Amino acid sequence: MFKAKRRTVVTVTAVVAVLLAAALAVTLLTSGKGNASDANGIVAYQAGQRPLAPNVTGTSLTGSAIKLSSYRGKTVVLNFWGSWCSPCRDEAPTLAGLDEQYGSKGVAFLGDDVGDTPANALAFTQRAGITYPSFSDNGYLVVADFSVAGVAVSDTPTTVVIDKTGHVAGMVIGAASYGQLTTLIKDAAVTKE
Amino acid sequence: MTDVHAPQSQPESVAAEGEATQQFGEGKTPQGTTANAGWLRWGWRQLTSMRTALVLLFLLALGSIPGSVLPQQGTDPAAVQQYYASHPGLAPWLNHLGLFNVFAAPWFAAIYLLLFASLVGCVVPRTFRLVGSARTPPPRAPRNLARLPQSSSYSSALSPAAAVDGAVAVLGGQRFRLRRSAADGADQWVSAEKGYLREVGNLLFHLSLLGVLLSIAAGGLFGYKADKLLVEGQTFADTNSALDEFHPGRLVSGSDLPPFTMTLNKFTASYIESGQSRGQPSNFDADVTYRSSPGANPGSYHIRINDPLSVDSLKVYLIGHGYAPEFKVTGADGKVAYQEATPFIPANTATFLSDGVVKAPDASLGFMGVFVPTAIPVNGTVESIFPAADAPAVSLIGYSGNLGLNSGVPQSVYQLDTTGMTKVSGSPHLLLPGQTWALPGGKGSITFVGVKQWASLAITYDPGQVPALVCGILALAGLLISFFVRRRRVFVRAVPAASGAGSVVTVGGLTRSDASGGFEEEFAELATEIAAAEPDHDQPDPGNNSEVPGA
Repeated sequence: MFKAKRRTVVTVTAVVAVLLAAALAVTLLTSGKGNASDANGIVAYQAGQRPLAPNVTGTSLTGSAIKLSSYRGKTVVLNFWGSWCSPCRDEAPTLAGLDEQYGSKGVAFLGDDVGDTPANALAFTQRAGITYPSFSDNGYLVVADFSVAGVAVSDTPTTVVIDKTGHVAGMVIGAASYGQLTTLIKDAAVTKE
Repeated sequence: MTDVHAPQSQPESVAAEGEATQQFGEGKTPQGTTANAGWLRWGWRQLTSMRTALVLLFLLALGSIPGSVLPQQGTDPAAVQQYYASHPGLAPWLNHLGLFNVFAAPWFAAIYLLLFASLVGCVVPRTFRLVGSARTPPPRAPRNLARLPQSSSYSSALSPAAAVDGAVAVLGGQRFRLRRSAADGADQWVSAEKGYLREVGNLLFHLSLLGVLLSIAAGGLFGYKADKLLVEGQTFADTNSALDEFHPGRLVSGSDLPPFTMTLNKFTASYIESGQSRGQPSNFDADVTYRSSPGANPGSYHIRINDPLSVDSLKVYLIGHGYAPEFKVTGADGKVAYQEATPFIPANTATFLSDGVVKAPDASLGFMGVFVPTAIPVNGTVESIFPAADAPAVSLIGYSGNLGLNSGVPQSVYQLDTTGMTKVSGSPHLLLPGQTWALPGGKGSITFVGVKQWASLAITYDPGQVPALVCGILALAGLLISFFVRRRRVFVRAVPAASGAGSVVTVGGLTRSDASGGFEEEFAELATEIAAAEPDHDQPDPGNNSEVPGA
């Protein structure tokens, strides 16, 4: 009788423990996964903990070669976009304006044109006044390179800011505002070295 | 769940028929120290009772029905929208009940978790009991074996102790678990029990059922399903943003996707050209090149129906196909504003008449199109008579104006928002490959360059699939074992014969839930063997040898 009682207690405890552990795991893991952005919608990495950006090489929309590593020594603003993507088209004037503002101050702007054709993309950049080059990345290969490097570009548009040492300082997933980008560019200037 | 219970371990002090026939019984009425504890224990016993488990299992099956009858958000959101449109009154109510996403609905999870708790609560004590009963010797032999369901007796020339020793040898040889009375006592008997494997089978079944539930849960938590439409010549990398649809498990995020890349080199669809099944598909083949990660060596594969590609522990299935007519659009300034093979969605799967839109926002032009794979003119319009692209044509309606693509609000690539646009011509314009339509008013032009095909791929990762299969097979094995193995007890008791020499030996046996039958025969054989096992030097009187079988 006493034994039976103890077994019941053990069983009930085991079931409750399993259920609680499962519930806890679900809660913790679902909330902790992915890129946690702050109140401003910015995913920021502290200096010293910044993931190294992949050494991406590719061709531009006009067919010339682009190498991300050749931008070392400059802060790089890399915008993942497509001419088919309404939020991308919406944020493009902001990027064009920032390019004009920061271009001469050691900040380089680059695009990664995903899921798109060069013809469609060039029609847009010419009209929107975007003069910086973009990777022609129909197959999202640059996105995959960043994913392997631990930087999940989980939506289009996403704007990644890379510091002078080639490390990712932070990013904005979704359409980026002027304020978000200037904050990130300033953050990126603070490097460990 | 099976209708079998382990005989409960017996207290050794009681020796009576009641003990021998005593079975495991579930519920004693709760007599807890406090009313609350009593209620809790009662509730727990209800939850872990087999009846509740069966009811929950039934509810789980019942709950899955709306999941297969009603369109589901996870698998076919478009069909859900369609359902909303056709049943505007009913659909919101169904949605409140979670019937458009049954497998993620709280009530479904509740059934699932309760069933899980019920099973755990049933299996864990059962494990204890099995271990306990495996350690417990069989009960003492009842006094009157003739009252048991099976019994027989014979006269032996041996002393009671020697006769029982003979029975011990026979039963021991048949791998019965034995319990022998004191060899020098006045009371000579042996109890034997067999069929513990039944409990093992029973337990295996229950544990495997738990395993199946856990595997399905693991699939739901860690697995994912994604769709990608790929046009011939197009490459894609398995990243969250590249996928058209991504349905991750609860514990999966976009960064968990294995970074494989794939190029659709060529898609081939063959159709039956003649006879009654003309136009029916005969074969689909997606010729792909893939890399398991960026920079890895490329592999090639032909994905066919039911022949998925396995890469990075995922499976890539071919789930659909269609046509992607290629267009070139120039604006009023004569510059190319759009050039792309544009996927059109089949509206008629028999003829592959397909709908699609072309958006050239930088020329302020948009087109709604119908693609006709094998076009014949019918009363001024065109119809498709065959699904293969034997005589392709497109019929286009042109619009000019603001496509709303600069608004920042995401748009479907398959829909054209014409609210800010005007038609460029009254009637649709038909184009054959290579032809150009110069739009009226110098608004630009559109060229139908050619036709490509697209394949729709489903990328699935289900870590629970193999474990669920293994557990399912084990559950079946356990069920069969528990059906076909009998738990049975045999008792032998010998008393001195009335004549003074030799003894009278009684053999009794009983089994529980003799579902597969045959215990009667087994007992008869055993009794005969025991009777025949008299030592050679002292043959019993043939006339007294046996009254087997008895009942």
